[in-house]
Amino acid sequence: MELFIIFISAALVNNFVLAYFLGICPFVGVSNKLSSATSMGMATTFVMVITAIVSWLLYNLVLVPYNLAFLQIPSFILVIASLVQFVEMVIKKVSQPLYRALGIFLPLITTNCAILGLALFGSMREYNFLENVIFGLGAGAGFTLALVIMAGIREELDLADVPKPFQGAPITLIVAGILALAFMGFAGMI
Amino acid sequence: MNKVAQMIIVLTSIGIISGGLLAIVSGWADPLIAANQKAETEAAIFRVQPDGKKYQQVENSGFELYKVMNENNQTTGYALVYEGNGFSGKIRLIAGLSDDLNNISAIEILEQVETPGLGTKITEEPFTSQFKNLETNPKIDWVKGEKPDKSNEIQTITGATISSKAVVAILNDGISRLKKLRDNGGLK
Amino acid sequence: MKKQVTLSKEFFKGVWDNNPVLKQLLGLCPTLAVTVSAINGLAMGLAATFVLVMASLLISSIRKIIPAQVRIASFIVIIATFVTIVDLVMKAKFPDLSKALGPFIPLIVVNCVILGRQEAFASKNNPGRAFLDALGMGTGFTIALLVLGGIREIIGSRTFFGIQIMPDQFEPWLIMILPAGAFLTLGLILGAVNVYIDRKKRLEHESIIAHYKRVGREELIEELEVK
Repeated sequence: MELFIIFISAALVNNFVLAYFLGICPFVGVSNKLSSATSMGMATTFVMVITAIVSWLLYNLVLVPYNLAFLQIPSFILVIASLVQFVEMVIKKVSQPLYRALGIFLPLITTNCAILGLALFGSMREYNFLENVIFGLGAGAGFTLALVIMAGIREELDLADVPKPFQGAPITLIVAGILALAFMGFAGMI
Repeated sequence: MNKVAQMIIVLTSIGIISGGLLAIVSGWADPLIAANQKAETEAAIFRVQPDGKKYQQVENSGFELYKVMNENNQTTGYALVYEGNGFSGKIRLIAGLSDDLNNISAIEILEQVETPGLGTKITEEPFTSQFKNLETNPKIDWVKGEKPDKSNEIQTITGATISSKAVVAILNDGISRLKKLRDNGGLK
Repeated sequence: MKKQVTLSKEFFKGVWDNNPVLKQLLGLCPTLAVTVSAINGLAMGLAATFVLVMASLLISSIRKIIPAQVRIASFIVIIATFVTIVDLVMKAKFPDLSKALGPFIPLIVVNCVILGRQEAFASKNNPGRAFLDALGMGTGFTIALLVLGGIREIIGSRTFFGIQIMPDQFEPWLIMILPAGAFLTLGLILGAVNVYIDRKKRLEHESIIAHYKRVGREELIEELEVK
């Protein structure tokens, strides 16, 4: 039950993009086509789950026992960067179609603050291992959901008559605002 | 070869310097941070137990619990820190309880992520002051849209019913665990 | 030979012409997340500016000994170190502010403005110029955050830096301090900036045409229209 609450909370109620503003760069950048939004969302979810596993192990088995918690930020960011590189290499070796689908999005994920945010939130809230993995999965699902909904809207938006100064980023942000309002309806589910 | 050596040397020295620097800064900051946290808890305990002068953490209780005493070392009551789910996330609160656990002296919300302007009213007057001298037996109850007429009832906030109910539920949960602990002799 | 820009331009380009938030759309995560009040925006802006200036100074002074292959990794470690220092100092000296900004101080590490300036500027210029560039970008970032935080605080909670400035009769718009309000306000500000730029461009354009008309060279106008 607790695990289910963590998942719902991370995916819907406290959606990383629409409530915590994490991962806005790819959200504005990649959300103009449905197909690339789906791939980006999947790649991010994948990296998030692995990050949740690795950052938990690093924090609770290395940093805390040896009193090195002050190295949290540099070590997390280095781990994430090498992790993304590693995942890219593995995918390239294992599955060419998957690599073609996700490959170009992986380098972008390193600078996605949602990933570092996930690692930091996880250690701040003192989740246990399983909770942290579920948290990563929920956050990834929420990120994908927000990205895909946004891409769907933006594909339609291309046909709309938006005033010239508001084309591009401004109207995307305004739509995101309305979306954030809609997501508020999920509050109270937990 | 030369390139590789340079890469390794530069990266390693940056790592060592940054690690050393952080160790120094955190050596300076950690005691201050711990002192801040301690002062914060202390202030909160004495706010919910205004007659208290000293406090002592109750060990092995399974949750954060403080025994509060006056200047003559007589127990005035307890301060309980407990958390649970609210409308959009965790609510963490501290409650002052009388020695016999039958009355609440005061409560304070320590952490919450409720809706700004609506749910966040649980942290403010007049909601919090309703808990002063509230009876905890058989349990705390709530009424909606009318003034409470029993001594164990509070009125929920308009527009923030779920948040208000969550505070009551967290208190009931924590207090019932505390009473169980007392019945098993854990408060001696 | 690259044309040398004047030093004051090095500073002011970040404040308006290349404002990281309003023009380059960088560092949007902290911009949106912490700006529920003016003080939060200011604190976040100053913290990011400090990290940016320190990292730029250091990186531009050691730019010649960092091998190109490991430069990003080195930048990240240096930035992360300064961020941790800011985080620890804030927790120790300003616990309330640190609580309000929450995990967004550590997230300065992945603020694209900071890494972007190292890659685009500090690693290619001398420390003096890098310092001015960082200070300008930081100032631009802080101003943008302060404006956004100020607007949201005034309309959303009737106050500015905690002091009530709107009359009691004004019912605060809750939406402004909700996440949705951040998106809407920034969207509208960006739109307004675009309107202003368009207008300025049009006025410039018209004044050039008027000038050509005055000197009697209508053929240049046609050339301009084609462009």
